[in-house]
Order: sequence, then C-alpha cells, then structure tokens
Amino acid sequence: MSNVVLEKVSRNFGEFVAVSGFDLRVNEGEFVTLLGPSGCGKTTTLRMVAGLEQNSEGRISIGNEVVSDASRGVFVPSERRRLGMVFQSYAIWPHMTVFENVAYPLRVRRRPNAEVQDLVTKTLRLVEMERFAQRPAPALSGGQQQRVAIARALVFEPKVLLLDEPLSNLDAKLRLQMGDEFRAIQRRLGMTTLYVTHDQSEAMALSDRVVVMDRGRIQQVGAPEEIYRYPANRTVAAFFGTPNLLDAEVEACARIDGRRVRLDVVGQGWRGSCEAADEVRPGQAVTIMVRPEDAHLAAVDDNAGERELKWSGRIAQTIFRGATRSIVVETDNGRFNVDAAAFVDYAIGDSVNVIVPQRAAWAVPRDEAAS
Amino acid sequence: MSISAGDRIGSLGKLRLIARLSGGLRLLRATSAGRIAGLTALILILAFLSFYPLSMLLYGSLHSTPPGMAGTFNLAGYQDVLSQQSLIALLNTVGLALAKTIPSLVIAVLLAWILARTDTPFRGTLEVLVTLPFFVPPILTAMAWGMLGNPQVGLLNQLFQWVTGSSVAPINVYSYGGVVWHMMQYSTPFLFLLIVDAFRAMDPSLEEAARMCGASRWRTFRTITLQLMLPALTSAAILSFIRGIENFESPLFFGSPANIRVITTDIYDSINQRSPPQYQYATAVSFVIMMLLFLIVLLQWKLLRGRSFITVSGKGYTPAVIKLGKWRWATFAFCALFFVVMVVLPVGQLLIGSFFKFFGFYQWDMLTLEHYRAVFASSEFWRGFGNTMLLGLIGASLTMVLGGMVAYISVRTKWRGRSLIDAMAWLPWMMPGIVLGVGFLWGFALLPHAIPIYGTIWALLLAYISLGTPLSVRVMSSAYAQLSFDLEECSRVHGASWLQTMRHIMIALAWPSFAVGWVLIFFGIMRELSASVLLYSVGSEVLSVVLLKLWVNGNAEQVSVVGLIMVVLVLLFRWVQLKVIKAHISTL
Repeated sequence: MSNVVLEKVSRNFGEFVAVSGFDLRVNEGEFVTLLGPSGCGKTTTLRMVAGLEQNSEGRISIGNEVVSDASRGVFVPSERRRLGMVFQSYAIWPHMTVFENVAYPLRVRRRPNAEVQDLVTKTLRLVEMERFAQRPAPALSGGQQQRVAIARALVFEPKVLLLDEPLSNLDAKLRLQMGDEFRAIQRRLGMTTLYVTHDQSEAMALSDRVVVMDRGRIQQVGAPEEIYRYPANRTVAAFFGTPNLLDAEVEACARIDGRRVRLDVVGQGWRGSCEAADEVRPGQAVTIMVRPEDAHLAAVDDNAGERELKWSGRIAQTIFRGATRSIVVETDNGRFNVDAAAFVDYAIGDSVNVIVPQRAAWAVPRDEAAS
Repeated sequence: MSISAGDRIGSLGKLRLIARLSGGLRLLRATSAGRIAGLTALILILAFLSFYPLSMLLYGSLHSTPPGMAGTFNLAGYQDVLSQQSLIALLNTVGLALAKTIPSLVIAVLLAWILARTDTPFRGTLEVLVTLPFFVPPILTAMAWGMLGNPQVGLLNQLFQWVTGSSVAPINVYSYGGVVWHMMQYSTPFLFLLIVDAFRAMDPSLEEAARMCGASRWRTFRTITLQLMLPALTSAAILSFIRGIENFESPLFFGSPANIRVITTDIYDSINQRSPPQYQYATAVSFVIMMLLFLIVLLQWKLLRGRSFITVSGKGYTPAVIKLGKWRWATFAFCALFFVVMVVLPVGQLLIGSFFKFFGFYQWDMLTLEHYRAVFASSEFWRGFGNTMLLGLIGASLTMVLGGMVAYISVRTKWRGRSLIDAMAWLPWMMPGIVLGVGFLWGFALLPHAIPIYGTIWALLLAYISLGTPLSVRVMSSAYAQLSFDLEECSRVHGASWLQTMRHIMIALAWPSFAVGWVLIFFGIMRELSASVLLYSVGSEVLSVVLLKLWVNGNAEQVSVVGLIMVVLVLLFRWVQLKVIKAHISTL
C-alpha cells in the first residue's frame, strides 16, 4: 500500500486546460473519489496518475517515489508504476480466457507458474468468479466482466488501485450491488484507491473522501457527509441532488463554533437565520441552499417555530416517486422542491407553508457563474 | 459495451489531436533513439518503394534516351503526348472506365440489396459465389472470354448458330462492348464487396424512425436509406472508376486486337511492341495518367469531405429484412445467373478447352490429355509456378508486415512523421501497375551494378510490395481501429512493456485480419500482369506472364490447363480465407 500525492498538477491540450493546479494527498488505504460532470478533468487526472497521460506541470508521487515531475523531466512509464486499473470499458482482452486475463499482470512479470495458478485462483475466488476461470472472455456478462477486471487489477497486489467509471456500463441494480461488493473488498484489503465517477450517489456511498471537480479545478475536498451537508460553493451544492437555491442578503453574522457561523439574512418577502462556513460582512449577497428532504409542508395557519424558516405558496405539482413524493410549491421566491411522505393528501392549488429548520439552511457565497 | 468504448475513442481522438499539436517538443524528448532509428528505416524503405520510382518516371519523361545511356533533357515526350492518337487513347480510357462503372454499380447495388436486405434463400452461399469473380485473375477470364466470344469459333457463337441455323456470329468480344463486359466481370463483385457492409450495417431504427414520422416506404428509401448510402456509393463508384482507368488486361486482350487503344496499353506498346522502345513517351504518358488519377482523388476528397461512411459496428443490429414472398425465387435466380455467367461459363470454357485437341473443335474423338502432359512436362510452367508461389509467399508476408507497421504508427501512435509515412505508403495507390512497372524499370536500371536487382525476381518482389502496401495498410488500419485503446493501455498499466503489449495484445488480436489481408495480397500478386510483364526477364517469369506468352503463341489449349490450375489455387485460398474470417473475425 502506498499514498499518492499530486502537487500543482496541470494538463493542457494546446489552448485547452483540462486540469489545472491540482493538489491532493491520498493516504494509505484511503478510498478517494474524483467526482464531477463529464469533461471536468477527472479522467485526465486519473490517467496522469496511471502514466497514460503526461502532466504539463507539477509533480506526482506514488509511495514517496516521484513518478512524474514536469519541471525535472521525470516520467516513469505506466508499466513501472505498479498500479492496478479498472477501465470504463473493462478492457477484457477478448482473445484470452478469464484465467489468462487475470494472470496477465503476473505473466508479464515472469512469476513462476505455480505462483500464478495460486494467486489467480485466490483472486478469482475473491470476486466469486472461480467457476468461470476457463470461460473465454467474450462469453461474459457485463457484471462478470467487471469482476474479472477487478480481479486483474488486484492480482499482483499493486501499490494503488485506479478505477475509471467502472460501474457506468451496468444497469442500476447491478451497479448498487457491485459498488457495495467492491467497497467491501477494498476495505478488506485496505487498498489505496482512486476512483473516478460522475455519479454522486456512487461517490457518497463508496468513498472515504470525495474530490469535487469542475472545469479542471478542485471545488471541494471532504468526507461525503461534509460535502453534501456543507458545500463550499454553489457549484458543489447544485451537483448533489436537486437543492433549492435562494438568493438573500446578509444582515448580521455571529460565530457559532470553529466551523460554522450563524447568518441573519433577508430575501424577497422573507427573513430568518441560516448557517455558513465563513464570516460574511453584512450587506453581502449569498445563496441559501435548502435540500428538499429537509423541508416539510404545513397548513397556512401554522406558524414557524423559533428556529425555523417559512415560505408561503401554492402547490404547483406533485410527483409520486415510490418512497417519497416530490412536491413543487410556487412561492414568491420561485419554485420550491419539497420531499414529502409518499402518501400525503395535497392537491394541486392548495395553499401551504414550507417550513425549514434553520440549521438545514446553508449559505454559500454567490459566485459570478451562478448569477 | 462496444458502443461506449467507441464513443470514448472518438472523444479521445479529438483530445489526442490537440495534444499532438502542442506536445511536439515533449514527445521528441520522450522519443528514444531506437524509435528514431526504426522510423528512419521505415521511411527509407517506403521512399524506395514509392518516391524512387516516381522520381525516376519524372527523370525518364524528361530524358531523351533509355535508362543508362547518355542523352539530353527535353520535353519531346510531352510533345508526343499532345498528338491526336494519344488524345483518342485518353478519351477511350475515360470513356471505357465510365461505361463499365455505371452498369457495374447498378448490378452491385441490386446484388447488395438482395443479399443484405431481403429474405432470398441461400443468401450466405450466394454471397460467397457472387464475390468469387473478384478473386479469379482477370487474365484467366480474359482468355476464357476470348475463347467463348471468339467471332469465328467461339462457343457462344457456335451455340447461337446451332440453335438458329443462321451463319452470322452475333458476339464479338474484340470490341468496345467486349472491353466493357470484361471490366464488369471484375468490377461488379469489387463494388459489391465495398458497399454490401453499408447495406448490412445500417441501423434499421433510422428507417423505422422515418416511418414513424409518417414517411412512406418510398419516401423513406429516398430521404433516409439512399442519403445514408450516398457517401458509400459515391466513394465506391469513384474507386471503381479509378480501377477502370488503371485496367490493363481488358483493353490488352479485347481492345488492342480491335485497335482500341487506351493509355495503359499505349504505355505497354510503346515499350514492348515498338523498336526501338519509346521510353520517353511511355514515361511521359505515365505521368499524364497519374495526374488524371490525382485529379480524380482530389475530386473524391472534395465530394466526400465531412461525409463519412456509415459507421460499421456489425454488432447489435439485425438489418430489417424485407419479405419478398414468391419474388424471392426471382432474386435467387438473378444471383444464380450472375454466378453462372461470371464464373461457370469462363471456368467451364477452360475445362472444356483443356480436354480437346484443338480449341474450337469439340468432337468426341478429339478428347485428349496431351495438354496436361505438355504443361506438366514444361519447365517454363514449373518455373513460373515456383516463382509465383515464392513471390506470393514472401511478397504477401513482407507487404502485410510493412502495412501492419505503417498502420500501427499512423492509427495508434502520436509519433512525429507518421503522416509522412502514411502518405508515402498510400502513394502507389495512384500508380497503375504498368506505370509503377515503368518507374521501377528505370529505377532498377539506374541502380549501381553492386545492387543487381534489374532482371531478377527481386525486381518483381519490390514492385509487388509497393503495389500491395496501400491495401495492406487499409486492412490493418481498420483492424487496429476496431480495438479500443483501453485494451492496449490496460496492458501497459498492469506491467507489460511496449513490446510485450505488442506481442500479447495487439498482434494476438489483429492476426485474423492479418491473415485475411495476407490472402488478399497473395491474390493480388497471383493476378498481377501489368508490372510483371515489364519487369520479368528470362528465368523470372511468373504464371501470369507464362500464360500471356502461351496465349500470344496461340496455344489456347495449354492456357486452359494452366488457367484451371490457377482457379483451383484461387478456390483453395479463398476457402481458407473464409474459414479464418468465420472462425476468428466474427467472434471479436
């Protein structure tokens, strides 16, 4: 096991900056996910760690060994970095059996035959594919191919495991199952893992830490809960789920503890308190994020409690989603999404109040891109 | 899975392109000395195979005397080209090429539609049968049709006279019609092979979507099917037109006796049939025909710019098959008739011809095996057979290795200089065999005596490699293009060096295409006549040259025997090739 350190790593394709000033330290045994929309530079970052792409600037080290340093012209080729990688397409070689696919990393390292047999069998058992060892690779389903790809990446005990959207070609149910299985294997082996995905729920379910990227830059790094609950900016906030984003202006600011401050804010036709990460001067504009599952509906004559925020409006739409019901309330501040219980009696046109606890309202700076 | 991998290649390709422009310097630093040496060697080989004969042509067209003699530089060759005779040859060339492309295209489209989109019975077998004429050397069919359609004793005319009782001979292959007819023999299956995949690979949902939008069957065909096919059809037609201009056998056998001159036979005559040979005129005309071809290729690029072939994925689609009802037997009969006329008739003629004492006199008491005995006792036949086999084996192998390297460098790497390599390998595409033959004739004659290539079979070998390289590059390029980059990168990440990756992954995956391409090149070498006839000398005759000599001496009976042997070889190789395709390519 080794750590991975990226320092000021950038990659340009001509004029186009794919990744810029990327700083990250992945600790030993940690599972870190690079998350972002397509084209945000997450795959390029992973490929630079793999040595399939050369960084234009900065330095990458794996296990305290510098594998790429643009300023010193150091570049260790892929095959000498001792990595395991799972590709989006799985890249199962179609001319080999399952066994030969998994044995490949050992064969090119010229391990003795007995050891190859032993390790491959053990790894195939780990991914529950030992029965398929002699099967030709094209005769596998998507989920089986994925298991083979993972086995091949693990078989020679690599320093670091890299995964490039490994679940994106599976159907929804299998995706959940394989994700859980994979996380269990990773925990058991304590393998340092760098994972790339555009799927936020996958990222939250699997990772120790998530790196949210957008347009080649890191937006936020943190534990999944932290990023979901306390996004650093509007981009990160909007990336997870379908939050309500309301414009407001700060009236007063007081520190709660080392991590949070309380803001008194005023919006169009409402005022109240919310929380934020950093102090904001009164008069400044902020965006308030409220997640649909944190809001609830109440009758019009129901007043908000002391530590609650309130908006009034009419129900514009209700959508049954099975476990919950999404209700859209038309307020003076625009449309408000609320996740209600699945079987509530609200009809379109009903007047209601939307109630939100203050600590569930999170303010982020209003950035230029958002306006 | 295959689709998403393809998408990734597409988007990666774009990034790669950008990376290529910026990363020049850095890549150069990463370039090892070994790679530079390898690239240089490759460039030198390709230059010798394409630039060298080309520059020798230019030199020859401006020089007043044959290779190796003292002379002066002048434009006399080009002045001769401007004569009325040459102009007629030029018009004949273009006219014949056009005249054969249009009916060939119509028949090929019909065949492709029948075999790819209808429920005609025995489609699989029929497809193998109707493509067979493409693999039979044109020199054989030319001779067979020369016997079948001979105005005096041809079998077809005899049959006509026997049926009608009249004494007129309606069929004369020594005419414009004969030349066109024989060109179609080859170009119809050629066009069919080029377009059938476009018919087959078309996603039926594209047509279904049009029907769902309210378009009638006919409107769908006009606005969707045909529009999607158009790039493939245009490109195939232009290719066929180019082949028509380069054609040598048809005008040699059926045009020259009727005094119909085209450019290729004009070049041949001015070197082989005149004394003294008019080398300067031949090289000047060669240059003119190359310019013509170059213009057509430019036109093709302009026409097809931005409109690509339909992406052939081959997987996941079940082409919409049209139920023909009773009519499927009519379409079956059409395909069967095509096979009978294009293959059974000429091969049958060779078979009959080989067993009768004299060509044209078919009576029971004339049956004999003496032609077989004569051929098998002939040292010239065995020498030609041996040379063709040797050149075929070595030539096809070397050509495919060269094509495989060029294709890899141009498709799979970002190395500097790869577009130069690609262009050089493609250059012989624009040189008809006879032109390349003239170029090499000069080139070998001017080599220092320490390099004795002139007049040996190595001269033929080099010409064959040069002629075959564009095809081998195409075959291997499409083979590599089907392999996702992930397969290669995955191997590197998991510890394999570049060489190991080549051996275990790329070569292991691409070898079926290599084998198929190898057989194609072998066919090409076996049928090659136009360059061979200029470059052979005593001792280095190949089978096609032996055949031509026998034919010119009026020995049609032995021609039939040798021809039959070649047909058997063709069938054998084609069978092996189909086996490989079926067993390996369809599973990948």
